[in-house]
Amino acid sequence: MRRLEMVLSRLAWFFPTMAGLIVIVFLISNVIPTDPVRIVAGENATPEQVAALRVKLGYDKPIAIQLLNHFRDVLSGNLGVSIYTQRPISEDLAKRLPATLELSITALSLAILLGIPLGVVSALRRNAWIDQVLRVISVSGLAIAAFWLAMELQFLFSMKLRVAPLNGRIDGFGPEPYTGFYVLDSLIGRDWESLGSALSHLALPALTLALPAAATILRFARAGVLEVINSNHVLYQRAMGIPPRLIVWKYVLRNALISTVTQIGLIFGVLLTNAVVIETVFDWPGLGSFAVQSILQSDHKAIIGFTIWTGGLIVVVNLLVDLLHSVIDPRGAR
Amino acid sequence: MKRTVIGLIAALAAAAAPAVALAQGKYVHANNSGYDNLDPHAIYDVGRAASRINFYDGLYRWVDNPPKLIPWLAESHTASADGKTWTFKLKQGVKFHDGSEMTADDVVYSIERMLATKKGASSLFIPIIDPGSTKAPDKYTVVFNLKEASAIFMSTVPEILIVNAKLVKANEKDGDWGQAWLAKNVASTGSYKLKRYDPAIGFVGERFKEHFAGWGPKAFDEIEFRTVLETNTRVQGLIKGDFQGTDGYLPYDQILRLKQEKNVQILEQESMRVFYFSVHNGRPPLNDVHFRRALAYAFDYDGFINDILKGAVARNPGPNPNNLWGAPKDLKGFAFDLEKAKAELAQVKEPIRPITIGALAGFSESEQSATLLQNAAKKVGIEIKIESAPWQVIQSRMQDREKNYDLVPLWKSTYYVDPNNWVGELYGSRYLNTRNYSYNNDPELDKWINDALATNDQAKRQELYEKAARKVTDEAMGIFVYNTKWYGPYAANVVGIRFCPIGSGQDMRWASFK
Repeated sequence: MRRLEMVLSRLAWFFPTMAGLIVIVFLISNVIPTDPVRIVAGENATPEQVAALRVKLGYDKPIAIQLLNHFRDVLSGNLGVSIYTQRPISEDLAKRLPATLELSITALSLAILLGIPLGVVSALRRNAWIDQVLRVISVSGLAIAAFWLAMELQFLFSMKLRVAPLNGRIDGFGPEPYTGFYVLDSLIGRDWESLGSALSHLALPALTLALPAAATILRFARAGVLEVINSNHVLYQRAMGIPPRLIVWKYVLRNALISTVTQIGLIFGVLLTNAVVIETVFDWPGLGSFAVQSILQSDHKAIIGFTIWTGGLIVVVNLLVDLLHSVIDPRGAR
Repeated sequence: MKRTVIGLIAALAAAAAPAVALAQGKYVHANNSGYDNLDPHAIYDVGRAASRINFYDGLYRWVDNPPKLIPWLAESHTASADGKTWTFKLKQGVKFHDGSEMTADDVVYSIERMLATKKGASSLFIPIIDPGSTKAPDKYTVVFNLKEASAIFMSTVPEILIVNAKLVKANEKDGDWGQAWLAKNVASTGSYKLKRYDPAIGFVGERFKEHFAGWGPKAFDEIEFRTVLETNTRVQGLIKGDFQGTDGYLPYDQILRLKQEKNVQILEQESMRVFYFSVHNGRPPLNDVHFRRALAYAFDYDGFINDILKGAVARNPGPNPNNLWGAPKDLKGFAFDLEKAKAELAQVKEPIRPITIGALAGFSESEQSATLLQNAAKKVGIEIKIESAPWQVIQSRMQDREKNYDLVPLWKSTYYVDPNNWVGELYGSRYLNTRNYSYNNDPELDKWINDALATNDQAKRQELYEKAARKVTDEAMGIFVYNTKWYGPYAANVVGIRFCPIGSGQDMRWASFK
């Protein structure tokens, strides 16, 4: 019951959060000194062409009216048409969403698989050489710029060792699109060639995104384990003669991961932000590269559409994290 | 019976022979901008030229360098004495990709669609062609009735790309001239048929074997143009062999890097792409010729070309490309001379204020030239502020007289091969608010440009454009720096690339693997 209340409470905040997001992004978009109508009309357009297009696209109206109109459209499920691609923005976003999710989920999984065990090892071997090495690696992972890391990985694995593709999401145009997730689609269609290609293309961008995230998880997991490992209940479990490995992986980890799980929710948001850069470097056709193109073209509606979708994604992921949190620590479901 | 079988096998082998001879695999090109839209009447920029050129045909076509205009869908044309009526005879039996025949009705529909949708290259035709004025007296004849004589009309005819009227009409929705449909489909006679398209990735074209122009002994079976925004990734991909070609206007340090690679070749051609500073002539103190000349003397042309760009480009002292008629051969232009700059500045009557340069972010040459001018101008007492912004921001501001920067270092590319593309459009007041960003209003210059547009006398036109180029240069209406060289990076096994300043070597029907 408490969990249901928590879900409803989070959902009640969803709409005001999204409304605030739309207002902020809309106002920022309009502060940028560009004229989207002139951009879409092209450099050869006459003033008459520009004026006609401005009326057609509704950019002749005052900002407040444009914002209200946009709210009306969004509420009716219509994000509008991209002034640049001429396609419905929802269509463009829907087509690109699986690419970003596939990348982000893979990166997040990698980060968890790397970060949690290493964080535990680091805590159990506190101040030993392995802890020092992991500390250097994790601090570096947090400090390194994502685009630099991306280019270095490209240079090493693609150009020098030639074991990974340089860019793109797959060779050619992908398998039969059942879900839009190439790995999943390849499995469904038993298209092993596409599966290999999709996995190999996924490796470098996912690794680039995963390393800083793994560093964060590692630090939180280490701190969590250190806090729990010295608590009275662990001392009691030791006194009871429970094997140390069982204490660590069953009792310590469960309690230590509470703050780490919360972090994972926040990391997902960071992954989506970094994806804007990584997708551009690796030509990954996802939401991030769509956002870059939209910003460069001053496609305000597309930028807002991207914000709504990613904002919605982050809200959903945080809701899932809260639910997971309440499973691990029922006291939190209040 | 035996003879019949042998004959049949021989016939089949003969029929199959050309296809075997043509088997060439796939050419993959990494492009620096996205293919968001395939509508040939909606796009008109150099970055997305490949889809227009490879999927669509025009009545005439530009090829080679120096550019030649060759009959393409048309077999011939005539112009009336007054230069207003242009009649084109179409080739017969030309097939669209769906097998239907291309006729004059398709040409009429195509120009009407351009005039109605008002996008892409339509601004070339809107001032001179009224909707409904183009006629098809018979199946293979098209008559364009211009509102006024236009000497550049023939140069712009290749931009009228012909769509399959019947097919597009069938896909029109709410009177949109099929724009939503044609944004992601192809309805044409062109060299390649659309095989795959993903706006986020690019497109694959499959060779249209029945193309009316036929094919050489070798040609690519498929061409794939992918969007690869990062320059570094395009270059590395070419070295690695993932791509067989990329854009020909890479930064020169990348060209030098590619020249070291054995599996890459760099094709070199002098293009028609003039790098210059667009100067806002319409506000003080830039409306004073002495101030503009002071700026023109304050730019270190040799230092920029030889030291920064390592001599990779050719000095171009005036607005028209050196390698085009209409560019005076003896035009000297300005040279870097700070003493002369100071002398000119002393004659300026208006108060001198700091000026602003809008540099194209991400284009090192634009940013470097702005800094070079800033440093030298400071020595003569002119303060310059540099604002870097993406091209889209710069462009939208340039089209607004009030918001335009004082100076913008940029390139003027070839949209059609005629001096009007440069000196006419950049400085003729008939192009104010479209391609004239200089906001000058010079009646004498206007007369020369308008007279040159109204006559087909080539000698007269050359004289008028040369006079215009001299005046624009002498009065420093712009600061003209260099004409670009095109360094086409291709895999070493690619042959047959026919570079033309229009399309920048992306017309793939002529190319093949060795």
